[in-house]
Amino acid sequence: MRWLWRLLVTDADRRAIESDLAELYEYQRQRYGDRAARHWRRRQLALLPLHILIDRLRSAATHARNAMRHIWQDVTYSGRSLARTPALAATIVLTVGLGLGGTTAMLSVVRAVLMNPLPYAQADDLVWIYTDNPPHRFPLSVMDYRTLEADHPAFSEIAAWRNTSLTMTDGSQAERSAAKIVTASYFSLFAHRAALGRLIDAGDERRREAVVVLGYAFWQRRFGGDPSVLGRALTLDGTAHTVVGVLEERHGPFERTIALFVPARWPAPTRRGPFFLAVAGRLRPGVTPAAAVASLRATNARHFPPKRPQDERSSWGMVDLKERVVGDVGPRLLFVLGAVGCVLLIASANAVNLLIARALRRQRELAIRRALGASRRRVMQHVFVETSLLALTAGLAGLAIAAGAIGLVTVYAAEYIPRIDEVRLSAPVLAWFGALVCASAALMGLVPALYASAPRVNQALADGRSASEGPAARRVRRALVAAEFAVATPLLVAAALVLISLTRLSRVDVGIDPAHVLTAGLSLPGSRYPQPADRDAFWHRALDRLAILPGVEAAAFAESRPPQEAMELNDFELEGRPVPAGQSPPVSVWVGVSERFFKTLSYRLERGRLLAAADFEDDAPLVIVVDRAWATRFFPNQDVIGRRLHSGGCNTCAWTTVVGVVNTVKFEGLGASDNGVVYTPSTGSSRGFLMLRTVGDPASLSKVFQAAIQELDPGLALESLSTGNELMATAMEAPRYLTVVIGLFAITAVLLSLVGIYGVMAHFVQQHARDIGIRLALGGEPSAMRRLVVWHGLRLVAIGIAAGMAAAYLIARGMTTKLFGVALTDPSTLLAVPLLLALVAVLACLAPGRRAARLDPALLLRDS
Amino acid sequence: MPPMLQHFELHVLLAMLREGGETYSVPLVLALEKRMARPVSQAAVFIGLSRLEKKGLVASRLDEPDSGRTRRYFRLTREGLAAVKAHRSEHARLWRGLGRALRSDKV
Repeated sequence: MRWLWRLLVTDADRRAIESDLAELYEYQRQRYGDRAARHWRRRQLALLPLHILIDRLRSAATHARNAMRHIWQDVTYSGRSLARTPALAATIVLTVGLGLGGTTAMLSVVRAVLMNPLPYAQADDLVWIYTDNPPHRFPLSVMDYRTLEADHPAFSEIAAWRNTSLTMTDGSQAERSAAKIVTASYFSLFAHRAALGRLIDAGDERRREAVVVLGYAFWQRRFGGDPSVLGRALTLDGTAHTVVGVLEERHGPFERTIALFVPARWPAPTRRGPFFLAVAGRLRPGVTPAAAVASLRATNARHFPPKRPQDERSSWGMVDLKERVVGDVGPRLLFVLGAVGCVLLIASANAVNLLIARALRRQRELAIRRALGASRRRVMQHVFVETSLLALTAGLAGLAIAAGAIGLVTVYAAEYIPRIDEVRLSAPVLAWFGALVCASAALMGLVPALYASAPRVNQALADGRSASEGPAARRVRRALVAAEFAVATPLLVAAALVLISLTRLSRVDVGIDPAHVLTAGLSLPGSRYPQPADRDAFWHRALDRLAILPGVEAAAFAESRPPQEAMELNDFELEGRPVPAGQSPPVSVWVGVSERFFKTLSYRLERGRLLAAADFEDDAPLVIVVDRAWATRFFPNQDVIGRRLHSGGCNTCAWTTVVGVVNTVKFEGLGASDNGVVYTPSTGSSRGFLMLRTVGDPASLSKVFQAAIQELDPGLALESLSTGNELMATAMEAPRYLTVVIGLFAITAVLLSLVGIYGVMAHFVQQHARDIGIRLALGGEPSAMRRLVVWHGLRLVAIGIAAGMAAAYLIARGMTTKLFGVALTDPSTLLAVPLLLALVAVLACLAPGRRAARLDPALLLRDS
Repeated sequence: MPPMLQHFELHVLLAMLREGGETYSVPLVLALEKRMARPVSQAAVFIGLSRLEKKGLVASRLDEPDSGRTRRYFRLTREGLAAVKAHRSEHARLWRGLGRALRSDKV
């Protein structure tokens, strides 16, 4: 019972009660004897705390009942009162709702993409293993993987895969589908189960019969979820594959778009390259990442001792698998979250401002309530309930906006944000959302509540006129407006930066004329085109067939596609410039092309010659054409023609000679710097891009293009058929989305700030109408009054902008290169933003200014 | 309007008035037992006093001498006395003219 005592009464009171009890006990003892007195005492000691407890609970319940009755009264009253000012209520609900909704949506994205573990069992133990050749990181080769598979002490399991696409022929229809060639350990590494049948096992890598496992979505879409698909034979790239199973519906980022899984059957490698395998591993329990890296390096050194000095730094490395999946999207997401958070802040500040103005207008009404006996607490509670009602409605609007925004983001940003399909309005995000709603309700309610309930309110009754603004309220409102501008400024600067970066990107010289170009990817299945000669023969046939299509000017083949599909990088060593020990050899984009490639994409020859038919002969000397950026990078101010190099680390091979220089063309994205591109005669490629230069609209030739390929080989299907202009637009898409999103937030922020400054200045004019009237009556110029109002407003705005510029400067300095791909070199853009803001603020102040100038002194003075 | 008084609270106030000046719970318990001719628990008196104090009808002070018993002393406030008076006149008005009706046994 002691703890209950402690909970209910203070120690001093407990002592007083005990001493009173002792006194009464003595009385009872004398009157009724020892035994009865003891019984009495026991009873009292037991009953006392219980009685007190019951009393406290009962009075708390009465209190709560009364409070609920008051709150309900306040809710209905507030509802009616807000309905009388629908514009104000709608402004607050929509703007705060937008801030809440946007912030919640971005929180969901950030949580799903950056914070949640990957949707695999014990995902924290999964790592990505790569070839580490500083500063380059690239995949492993088959020899690397087989070596690691046999010797991986730090990992409980490793698996490798390669993404590809397979053409499924069903009757006369050929369909190209995303596929994954996986090792048998792939599914157990990621702890996947089969929805139907079985998954790929170790035997499938050796068995003669070709098998395939279907992705769940593909099974549903293509076969309507029919279980009898098991055992069916599908023709993939011309070879019959038996369906042995369907992957479970649950999947991670590596299986998201994959329709077909086929077992890896890589022949035993005779040399270490090429490097094309994605490899992941699961750390053994108790092995730290540092220990695993050390073990990887030790295994690599054991099996591949460095032959050349420059190989010494090359080894295997690993990163957390999530880091690999998420990539560099983190800063962008946090940036957008910051921007939308700013909008929420400004919207709340604006709401506070509007509510203070409302409280001022209602001073008389609230004063009457006080005079009729409402306590200060009661009035505060009323104002608080009103703002909570607003915040709650805004919260509901925000929830709808968040759900809608998440729906939009998952559809439109799927290409740019990894793991976007995992974004949900999950319970933790909803908890954050609840906290945000409470915070905005508290923020919105606090200032008006304090102000509305101040004892000064009684003066409002005595005055009998409309209320006047106290110095405290004035300061708060002005500070809020200044703060709105302070937050809006960096947001607008950020918007300007992304806009500048987008403009720069759109002005980037890609190096070719994309109009009148039609391109598509094509892969030749190894089963039907096993030899390089077979593949060359097909490409020749295809180019001959395409070149004579009506409306086609020229046709070509290339292994990479501008402006952002560089499929191969290669290292090389220039003649007379050995790579120093401890340094990596230079690397360039390497593009195998057909003879007419340069003509088809309208390249400009700057020096030397282009590739000629003779360069494609088997015994022809090795020649390359380089672009201007490559020539400048390695031979500034020197002649590059005739220079020689060894490519791919083969020092004993014949020299490759530079025979020509063409203009620089982008292959690594519009924002990437030009590191130089090497064009070599393409021979025996199994996949690449067909390119057509057309006379008229290239899109109109899409069908003919596809039909021509089908005619040559019905088992082939074109992939990612795009016109040149479409390729350019795709390269611009991600930055364009970022610009639109940030731009919308910035415009909202500026509009809200303008509403704020307008409200404050309009109130200023209303407050000072009498003074202005007297000045006008004494001969003051109306234009001077206008200037006075605008000047007053501008002072506030200037303070806000000055504070905001500090944050803006940090954004511009710290984040530009990383975030926008463009460094901000011209500070004048940074100065243009505050000037623009000040200009629109002047416009917002002009309306109240004009009202001040048009005041009729006679009318005003007569009124007062 | 004087605050609402519960039945037992009024009893405590009357007992305090009877004791006069400052008093503590023991004399009140004994006085109430004597007047009501039934046992009165100390808990009821304590709760009654704390409620009255919350309503501002009695005031209290804690007396903690270095040696001897700790006691909380209570006294009637001006509002307490006014409440008792208001109660009395209200009751008087209610009882007035009911003598004959009560004397006869007709219902």
